[in-house]
Amino acid sequence: MEKEKKNKIIMAVIISLVCIILFAIMFMQFKTIEETDITAIENMRESELRTAISEWKGKYEDTQKQLEANYKSIQDYKEKIEKNEETSELIDKDLEESNMLLGKTDVTGEGVIITLTSTEEHPVTYYHLIELVNELRYAGAEAISINDARVVMTEIVDVQGRISVSGQRLASPYVVKAIGNQTYLSSTLSLKDSGFMDRHQASGMNVKLETSKNIKILKYNGELKAKYMKEVKE
Amino acid sequence: MILIAIVIGCILGAVIGIYTPMVPYTYSGYLAIAIIAALDSVFGGISATLKKQFDLKIFVSGFFGNAILSILLTYLGQKLNVDIYLAAIVVFVGRMFNNLAIIRRYYIEKWTNNKKNKEQQNLNKND
Repeated sequence: MEKEKKNKIIMAVIISLVCIILFAIMFMQFKTIEETDITAIENMRESELRTAISEWKGKYEDTQKQLEANYKSIQDYKEKIEKNEETSELIDKDLEESNMLLGKTDVTGEGVIITLTSTEEHPVTYYHLIELVNELRYAGAEAISINDARVVMTEIVDVQGRISVSGQRLASPYVVKAIGNQTYLSSTLSLKDSGFMDRHQASGMNVKLETSKNIKILKYNGELKAKYMKEVKE
Repeated sequence: MILIAIVIGCILGAVIGIYTPMVPYTYSGYLAIAIIAALDSVFGGISATLKKQFDLKIFVSGFFGNAILSILLTYLGQKLNVDIYLAAIVVFVGRMFNNLAIIRRYYIEKWTNNKKNKEQQNLNKND
């Protein structure tokens, strides 16, 4: 009898404990569901979406930045290319000028034309031509030619009684063309007593001086080579 | 006496449940499955009592064992991406209906028997 009662009490306690656990869990669950509700899930989704949006926004900004940087670098490259073109243009100009001065190209411009014609009494010798070229150079002539043979250096020599300029043998009349300041050239040549024209006209030589706005001088026919000399570098 | 114990246990459990902190939403699914398993055990226990086959050890072990097993199965299902908890619910709820049917039948039989007995007594008295 006593044992049965004890057993019953134990049973009652255990069953009440089970009930406590069951109901506690049930009410916890009820409360959780009630408080979480669907809005919580929606909130969760919303927050997830928000984070996703911010992530994408960040990515978008990053790509935008990269794009801008790329554009900038492209602009830089373009500027560099332009600069290069400018410098190359300058170099081209320089080269052209050098070539023109060296006589590698046909040139045209204002200047004077002097015609020397040999006569029986006063034949034209290469000394006359050297003198004339010297004087023209002194007067600032930029390009000189004799009978269309370009005078680059003073290469006027007498070959067996005939005048040779830059390797070309010439005959009278000698037409000396010079490009330079027109008035300066002509006035230098026509100086009284010391000018070429005045001196030789006085001695009876057949010399003519013309000025022209448009003189064409052909390029140097020979080769310009630097075979033995080298540039000095420091 | 056991009835009083059950009532006290229910009330105490409810109070404790109300005042405990909230469970995170992700774990509430496991709890729900555990509750279904526990309820199944309770109904099984009631029907066993009515059949006079009630064993406290079986009841308690079933109560906790089923709950834990169902939680584990749900976890496994989530890992496998298969809704195993649906199978658990089907089994537990089906058994709950079975047990409920047994309980209902028992009480209806008892009620009809009582009525019959009363009529018999009345008839006997009248006679």
